[in-house]
Amino acid sequence: MRASTAISVGRVNLEVRQGIALWLHGLIVLASIVVGLGISVLLLVISGIDVSNVFEEFIVLTFFDSAGLADVLLEWAPLILVGLSAAVAFRVQFWNIGIEGQFVWGAIGTTVVMIYDIGPAWAQIYLMFLGGIIGGMAWIAVPAVLRLRLGVNEIISTLLLNYVAALFVLNQLFGAWQDPAAVYYKTAQFADHQRLPQIGWGQIHVGLFIALAAAALVWLVTERSRFGAYMKLVGSNPRMALASGIPVALTVLAAVMLSGALSGLGGYLVASGQEYALTIYVAIGYGFSGIVIAFLSRNNPAAVVVVSFLMAGLYVAGESIQVFYGLPEALIGLIQAIIVICVVGSDFFVRYRVRWMR
Amino acid sequence: MQASALQMTDIVKAFDGRVALDNAVFAAEWGEVHGLLGENGAGKTSLMNVLCGLYRPDAGRMAIDGTEHRIEGPGHARALGIGMVHQHFKLVQPFTVAENVMLANPQASWRKGIAAVSDGIARLSQELGFEIDPAARIDRISVAEQQRVEIIKVLLGGARLLILDEPTSVLTDDEAERLLQTIRVLARRGTCVILITHKLREVLAHADRVTVMRGGRTVATVAAAGTSATDLARMMVGDAPVDDTEPGRGGPVRLEIAGLTARREDGASTVRDLTLAVRSGQIYGLAGVGGNGQTELAEVLMGVRAPDQGRIALDGTDIAALHPKQRRALGVRNVPADRTTYGLAQELSVGDNYAATRLGSGTFGSAAWVSRRAVGKRTAAALEAFDILGARVDTSVRLLSGGNAQKLVLARELDGRPVAIVAHSPTHGLDVRACAAVHDHLRAAREAGAAVLLISEDLDEILNLSDVVGVINRGAIVGELARPVSRQKVGELMLGHA
Repeated sequence: MRASTAISVGRVNLEVRQGIALWLHGLIVLASIVVGLGISVLLLVISGIDVSNVFEEFIVLTFFDSAGLADVLLEWAPLILVGLSAAVAFRVQFWNIGIEGQFVWGAIGTTVVMIYDIGPAWAQIYLMFLGGIIGGMAWIAVPAVLRLRLGVNEIISTLLLNYVAALFVLNQLFGAWQDPAAVYYKTAQFADHQRLPQIGWGQIHVGLFIALAAAALVWLVTERSRFGAYMKLVGSNPRMALASGIPVALTVLAAVMLSGALSGLGGYLVASGQEYALTIYVAIGYGFSGIVIAFLSRNNPAAVVVVSFLMAGLYVAGESIQVFYGLPEALIGLIQAIIVICVVGSDFFVRYRVRWMR
Repeated sequence: MQASALQMTDIVKAFDGRVALDNAVFAAEWGEVHGLLGENGAGKTSLMNVLCGLYRPDAGRMAIDGTEHRIEGPGHARALGIGMVHQHFKLVQPFTVAENVMLANPQASWRKGIAAVSDGIARLSQELGFEIDPAARIDRISVAEQQRVEIIKVLLGGARLLILDEPTSVLTDDEAERLLQTIRVLARRGTCVILITHKLREVLAHADRVTVMRGGRTVATVAAAGTSATDLARMMVGDAPVDDTEPGRGGPVRLEIAGLTARREDGASTVRDLTLAVRSGQIYGLAGVGGNGQTELAEVLMGVRAPDQGRIALDGTDIAALHPKQRRALGVRNVPADRTTYGLAQELSVGDNYAATRLGSGTFGSAAWVSRRAVGKRTAAALEAFDILGARVDTSVRLLSGGNAQKLVLARELDGRPVAIVAHSPTHGLDVRACAAVHDHLRAAREAGAAVLLISEDLDEILNLSDVVGVINRGAIVGELARPVSRQKVGELMLGHA
């Protein structure tokens, strides 16, 4: 009758932990990341990078070099936003796999202001901000309503809408919105007043502050507000939440809309701050990075800020090994995956105490 | 003379110090249908789990067909010809009938095995009057058909001693009748069929003999032909003394349910035209055997299940269409049967759970923000007041003992001045001390003027606490009794013989 609390496999004895101290939990996760990085270094060495150069290339040139650090900070801003977007949705158990699509629609919402020259010139940068948010929210509204009204699985609907978004952009870039003067398929360049101002270090623009402010706001909402408490309860036990008198459907809808808005804001940052145009490349890779960041930070907005910084570093370092060593970009995805799998695996040690028997 | 099919002598089994079987005795013959009767927790299923090798007894002897055996495990029991059809079917949903049967009766080769098993299914189906397609997927056939698959599975494994645990609880009346006919056919062929049930009618109509259990002991074994429903009911519920203190008169009616009808997930109407009224300062005990609509009734009252029709009035206001939030605002509180489903969020802290129902009410912060200081202070006070030892505000609820978790639910639900409290099996699985604490809190709520609806399958709890006892059977109230309540009378009503 009683569930066994100890399992023996050969000489290893596993005991189910009743609880775990925060420091030990942190230590286990940290150790798993170190293991993941160790495997990654091994992989880089196998790929032909001199082992003595790995540290130089990865750490020093990325984080302790002015140009390198500027690149990292530039990449950091959109990654914070997609990480937050995933974290907010995951908190209410809405598996938003469509961040990339919402990101694209954020960029579309931004670009529409430029294409149709909406509003007075001074207001356009703010209208673009709104356009980005509306674009992202509109794109997530479809799966949200399908899920809440008809019970359609959001994993499938959000995932597939990514392709619809990408194909829609292609359609526009090969057609109505194409800039005939450009070499490859993109819209015309944004005018100066339609661009996010740079702060004078590398390419870094005020979007970084927007992203950090968004993180602070999301942290306040999720950790301190009533809505955040609702999100926690709905995410942990939706049936209990309903019986407790919490408006479950409304909470999910609001959280999902916030998730879409954050992704859309990411699209605005890249379109108005980096590319100064809508291209087919605006969103590539951001959707899945957001999921990885949210996962590694256990949906905690403060942790998202830290993890996305490290992820930005990984990207920048990855670009440099691509340039200097001619290694494929896929290597970065591989390193990401190895670290994620190591962290997932560490959960085993969080749940069980392992003892060696003699 | 032929040896007895089964002889179990002085079987003892304790779980964690709680005695489930206390020198239980049981014997059955080849070719008979033997009813095994008892209330929930009487030890029927435990005894049969010992027989089929799932539990190892602490003491006692077992003889199958005259030979004594120590049953080492389920495989050993199967080899001895013992087969059990559990209340919750052990079938793999996306597999076909034949595949499921083969899973329990491994064959040397897949393709030939499927063919052999399909032949066996066809042969047995014909003998027993079943219509089963061996190639049908389990999730595409009805519950009654799934049960037939379970029976065939066990019989093809060579079972001569067939145990059916509450087989009719999931069936409609017609299906139940058919099943019981089938059981008779099996008995005629020499199989010993043990029918675990708490339905007197089935036993009286279809069993040859009946053994009654209560509190882990065997009360008696009698011939079905020579006994009456009243006798059986008395044997099942015992002759405990009746509390004859004056009932609480109660004030005006606060919670009124009229003509309520509700459905289960599978579409079956389990609450049927139910009507009852609970007064202020009164505990209304709703007694009944599990599965007679109590779960759906509690869910409808909580506001998480929509009723088909009927009226639920709180102080005269119809609340049947209201969201749980509005019901709570009017003073309806719930102590749900399954804490982990409707009561608590396991992964969150004690404080998060305590504040859950009153966020934004001003108690724990403003409309927009949650004050962590207020949550901490008030939760700590509640932990103190409800004697929840060893828990802190930031402890994860998952780590609480059953008693502490239930006291936390009560602390939250009884806070403020509840108008009506719906408590469903509030002491299920708790130890004696926690049980007493829960009962004291419910009594205190009654003294404070609340209308308490206590839904419980534990007859002692009902008789101990209630001012009025209503009996639910097949989704409707079949009788209401005021104190002093006759235990026999309640027992008979519960079991369907008024």
